[in-house]
Amino acid sequence: MNSAILKAVASYLPPQRLSNEDLCRDHPSWTPEKVFAKTGIKERSVSGADETSVDMGIQAAIALFEKNSNEKEAVDFLIFCTQTPDYFLPSSACIIQEALGLRESVGAIDVNQGCSGFVYSLSIANGLIASGSAKNVLIITADTYTKLISPSDFSVRSLFGDGATASLVKAHDGPEGLGRFVFGTSGKGANDLIVPAGGFRNPKSAKTAVVSDGGFGNKRSPEQLFMDGSKILVFGLSKVPSAVGQLLENEGISVDDVDHFVFHQASLLMLQKLGKKMKIPSEKVPIALEYSGNTVSSTIPLALEQCFLMGKFKSGDVVVLVGFGVGLSWAACTIKM
Amino acid sequence: MSDVTTFLEEMTEILEAGAPVTAEHTFGDEWDSLAIVSTIALVDEIFGVFLEGKDLAGCTTVQSVLDLVDKQTT
Repeated sequence: MNSAILKAVASYLPPQRLSNEDLCRDHPSWTPEKVFAKTGIKERSVSGADETSVDMGIQAAIALFEKNSNEKEAVDFLIFCTQTPDYFLPSSACIIQEALGLRESVGAIDVNQGCSGFVYSLSIANGLIASGSAKNVLIITADTYTKLISPSDFSVRSLFGDGATASLVKAHDGPEGLGRFVFGTSGKGANDLIVPAGGFRNPKSAKTAVVSDGGFGNKRSPEQLFMDGSKILVFGLSKVPSAVGQLLENEGISVDDVDHFVFHQASLLMLQKLGKKMKIPSEKVPIALEYSGNTVSSTIPLALEQCFLMGKFKSGDVVVLVGFGVGLSWAACTIKM
Repeated sequence: MSDVTTFLEEMTEILEAGAPVTAEHTFGDEWDSLAIVSTIALVDEIFGVFLEGKDLAGCTTVQSVLDLVDKQTT
């Protein structure tokens, strides 16, 4: 069986920013310092009015190929992970294949997952490579959640940003590479993080455009993003430790054997509490949301890119990735560097 | 240090109270969604139980939070 290695990661963050100062002008009961202390975020990257996930994803892929110029021609499968596609149909991945000039013999699919999406996409790439169906998989993650957020909803406006990443997963001989995966799904929490209207279950109408008070002064319409922060926190603090426990048991290793735990960058509070709960030293838990916010499926590859750039990964390091959120959905895997 | 003492110390921080809070402390505007989420994480950390956000939203004093913890742990 062929093994797969995560060869390179690049990113694109739109230049427009929403700073804590901007946010607090609209929500004067908060101070920039308090927002930063709780979220770990100083500013969120925000896509332009006409800028879509596909546009951002293409920019991330261009950045990837600029640094890895021989790799574009080798790509034989494209996975585009987004929950904010350009169209209901066709798949955004097909549009990206043409825009990037990838050859026609590539496979191209969209993966509709949010915060767990990068790890799910890695697992698909891993399976394609293990089965011999592909050798060079391009994974692009991109989302524009800010377009779904009510300007009067501090609860989500303070957290989410837009961004994109592009990663190369390649067939490889050697001890390095992707290890085992564990997955989890709890559809009973589907309503805890949702845009209730705009799909076919609840099509947009005059009624769904009405903005109402959702509690604590947060106003939104059913066409906009809703998050029950309490339930999502409890979900994270209960499911992530058990998923990590299962993964480490399957690998036959302990927390001490892991050099880096790259969690979905939900918020500083979540990251700190997860680390504390699992007794992981804070230096093993990268924080990478200060200047981008929670960019959904892009947070893990953004954190990986930061670690690569800072030279944090040494040969032989064991890294655990854990994505968790909207769905509710979670996935974790190991990577040996 | 007892769990309750630790809890009160941490609640002082969450509520950004100038002086150490006691169980009798009554919540004001600072008892917002972020304070509730922080309290859920704190209660899990100290007492090992998860409280519901909607139950916490109904709390008016620190003692009423401790009562919810008691209900879950006894």
